[in-house]
Amino acid sequence: MATAASSIPVARPRAVGWKRLPVWVRRAIIFAALIAIWQAYVSFRDVNPLLFASPWDTATTFWDGLRDGTLTKPTKTTLLLLMEGIGIGILVAAVLTAFATLTDVGEDLLTLLTSILNPLPGVAVLPLAMLWFGINDKAILFVIANATIWPIAINISTGFKTANPTLVSVGRNIGLSRVRQITDVLAPAALPYAISGLKTAWAFAWRTIIAAELVFGVAGSEGGLGNYINNARLYFLTPQVFAGLVAIAILGVVFETVFGVLERRTIVRWGMKTS
Amino acid sequence: MPLTRTPTKTTSRPAAHAPAGDTLLRADHVQLGYWTPRGFNLAVGDASFEVAPREKVIVIGPSGCGKSTLLKAIAGFITPTGGTISVSGRTSLEPGPDRAVVFQEFDQLFPWRTVLDNVAYPLRVNGRSRRDALARAQEYVELAGLAHAADRYPHQLSGGMKQRVAIARALALEPAILLMDEPFGSLDAITRQRLQAELNRIVDQTHVTLLFVTHSIEEALVLGDRVVVLGNSPSNVIEIVDVRDLGGPETVEYGQMRGHLRDLLAVDKPIADDEEEEVLDGDGS
Ligand SMILES: Nc1ncnc2c1ncn2[C@@H]1O[C@H](COP(=O)(O)OP(=O)(O)OP(=O)(O)O)[C@@H](O)[C@H]1O
Ligand SMILES: [Mg+2]
Repeated sequence: MATAASSIPVARPRAVGWKRLPVWVRRAIIFAALIAIWQAYVSFRDVNPLLFASPWDTATTFWDGLRDGTLTKPTKTTLLLLMEGIGIGILVAAVLTAFATLTDVGEDLLTLLTSILNPLPGVAVLPLAMLWFGINDKAILFVIANATIWPIAINISTGFKTANPTLVSVGRNIGLSRVRQITDVLAPAALPYAISGLKTAWAFAWRTIIAAELVFGVAGSEGGLGNYINNARLYFLTPQVFAGLVAIAILGVVFETVFGVLERRTIVRWGMKTS
Repeated sequence: MPLTRTPTKTTSRPAAHAPAGDTLLRADHVQLGYWTPRGFNLAVGDASFEVAPREKVIVIGPSGCGKSTLLKAIAGFITPTGGTISVSGRTSLEPGPDRAVVFQEFDQLFPWRTVLDNVAYPLRVNGRSRRDALARAQEYVELAGLAHAADRYPHQLSGGMKQRVAIARALALEPAILLMDEPFGSLDAITRQRLQAELNRIVDQTHVTLLFVTHSIEEALVLGDRVVVLGNSPSNVIEIVDVRDLGGPETVEYGQMRGHLRDLLAVDKPIADDEEEEVLDGDGS
């Protein structure tokens, strides 16, 4: 599919050299420059290595962490916990949305719950979760699920409510059952909302789990990424603190990309979102 | 194509109450309205007319007179508050593919399905196998002159192309009657004329029974066998005229009929007598 971006003729009287470079080259150059400044700062300003790691130290620590598993294991722990939490969040959100779509009471309930709980920062319920579940994975799961349910539920139900009434009429006209009306018409029509809800949920959950792990220390048997960073801080293993942050940043970029691909394959391709 | 017989063109005007065997759709003193916060709002007061199999019947009337309401009732989206509508002898009407609808809105196609898939999907829903549905959809997409665009998504089509897809989708369902609500209302004059000719060709090829709503006299004369004229809301049927044997726009009869329809539609609401402008209502909604 020809993308809109590539076909728009950019008529610039004076094409500036920088703007003519491909985006990824521009980004790579800026990225390299920032790394160089960072390295220069560490090398020439004689900073305390206990407080500041050089890019080189960070990179080697990161690499070692990948090879001996000291970094991959906590990352895996965090991601698994995150997926589980988001999974629970999606399930609960789906049930709530279905309830809200089918009944008036459900709709009011969802609106009320969302307006109360959605603005609450995810970690804010952590103390409560610790009281209820103790200091373990369950508490973290609870916090993540809570952080994801509301943005997903509110987005999907908005998507259902704003679905094009003409399409709903077409669905009835061609003889769709109520169930197929939901799965085949309302669901795809609400996809732009669902994706944006998922993005928000992901961002909330990601911040929440790292924060929760930082507070928790070791949760259960294995610690996650937040715990990895906190431990490193405790023992003044500054390059590890940096490596942990790099891991978090990389994962953030990876998920951005995944969502970008998902959008391009669906709603952008179908003209339901311009980008 | 499903049928190859040429349509039987009767020269005699069908009686107002034709024998039941010859009637596919019968509207009998139909009354329609909406409940609003301020009470019941009558849209159609009393409408009676019939459509015979393979007939092309146009419903025309001023804006807001209840044409869309009438069509929605026949499609089964709303229930008459009085009188009966029967299609093929059935009177309790749920929406269904035997009365396929082409709406006025361009956004009636599923944006997440390609042109071919938009036509094939309703066939799948109605029990055809995947292969069967696709082959059939291909046939109708070609009939609508869109073979070259079969793999495109709706947002990559022009308004006229979208309406052609919607027509192909409705026809592929082989409805007992095809219901169209000003499908060309938002198109420019030239595209509109082209699609009218195209629709005539397709309808003649498939022998589908057609009920077509418009507020353009020109469109009614180009497409119809008979024209049901509605008055202002709450509307009654003012007259049903036979236009199937009119000559082309240059003939005297055509001019007379056009004048007659104009007079009819201007009864309650005088409009400027503009020679070229056939659309009764400026905003095409
Ligand atoms: N959903 C609704 N609720 C209440 N009143 C309605 C509704 N839809 C239509 N009406 C009213 O019913 C009357 C008939 O409307 P309808 O849409 O059938 O007119 P129409 O003949 O199709 O007009 P147009 O040519 O402009 O499409 C109008 O007075 C309109 O205000
Ligand atoms: Mg209308």
